[in-house]
Amino acid sequence: MGLWISKLWSLFGDQEARILVLGLDNAGKTTILYRLQVGEVVSTIPTIGFNVETVTYKNIKFQVWDLGGQTSIRPYWRCYFPCTQAIIYVVDSTDTDRIGISRDEFKALLDEEELRDSLILVFANKQDLPNALSDAQIAEGLGLHDIKNRDWAIFKTSAVKGEGLFEGLDWLSNTLKTRRK
Amino acid sequence: MAFGLLYGLWEYLFRKDEFHVLILGVDKAGKTNVLERLKTIFTQSIGLDPGKILPTVGLNVGRIEAHKHNLVFWDLGGQSGLRSIWDKYYSEAHAVVYVVDSAARNRFEESRAALDKVLENRELAGAPLLIMANKQDLEGAVNAQEVGQVFGIDRAEGRQFKVLPVSAYTGQGLKDGVEWLVETIRRSHRSIRLRVRVAQ
Repeated sequence: MGLWISKLWSLFGDQEARILVLGLDNAGKTTILYRLQVGEVVSTIPTIGFNVETVTYKNIKFQVWDLGGQTSIRPYWRCYFPCTQAIIYVVDSTDTDRIGISRDEFKALLDEEELRDSLILVFANKQDLPNALSDAQIAEGLGLHDIKNRDWAIFKTSAVKGEGLFEGLDWLSNTLKTRRK
Repeated sequence: MAFGLLYGLWEYLFRKDEFHVLILGVDKAGKTNVLERLKTIFTQSIGLDPGKILPTVGLNVGRIEAHKHNLVFWDLGGQSGLRSIWDKYYSEAHAVVYVVDSAARNRFEESRAALDKVLENRELAGAPLLIMANKQDLEGAVNAQEVGQVFGIDRAEGRQFKVLPVSAYTGQGLKDGVEWLVETIRRSHRSIRLRVRVAQ
């Protein structure tokens, strides 16, 4: 287990904290969750019918589900929004066909009242594959520049190779720390 | 109805203006350090220690209140790949702070070319420009006057500009910089234009 997680944890004390790892299916979210090596990944399917994977480290929960499915279950996502410190938004950088869908889903998250203060960390994932779009292209594709009232950052990652993930998490804990002062 | 209109007018006339200031410059110029130091000087919170600042790969937002105005700073990453994002923030910016590492002569040319590109953009027409000749605390730093010459600000037609000696590390020049920004933005035609646009 890395130093980063204890660093992150030390920021929150006893406070409940949540970090959502979201994106379209096949973006590499679950692989990232395993790569973090924080603990056991527990998969649950609530009665309302969407699959949520959770890793818990002390009082910090990392939670993953797929966006871009049926819109009818969207309201239930809100059960998972309170105390969300950050959203890690994962994009398959080779999936150029669906970048527009990913953008729409991303925008919908940004509009959520309860996620208004969450930090935004974007992983331009699958950089190990040929034809992966660059970080600047993903930033443009998602319309990250429309965010003008909170910090955001984008990192090129390869979840299978474990590259870029911890740089991003370093940014996350650093930025959370400045807010806490 | 009438009351609503009056109230709207009243609110419009007396609300505290919010000014948006872009912090641009090439990577390692010290943009985030400037932002963090501004937070330390103008807010209750203490900005991040210079040693703990990572390269920015996105946006850092900083809010301060100074001279009865709210300022929102947008500090954008300066690595060449990410400079393409800069212009997406231009249309709503009231002014630009351009940060130069005064001790890195070998990057003046690149930095100047990046500034030229910024100033050419019509979205920033009339936006006041404050060049911060940063890192004055370092030995070998070029003084503000010389930075002004290198960056050819005499070509900044149609816009207010100023070059200030700054050290984000010691805080030198930052108060003066903010004072200049507020005064200049307040009087600029651009902020009237932006205000009209928001009202519409």
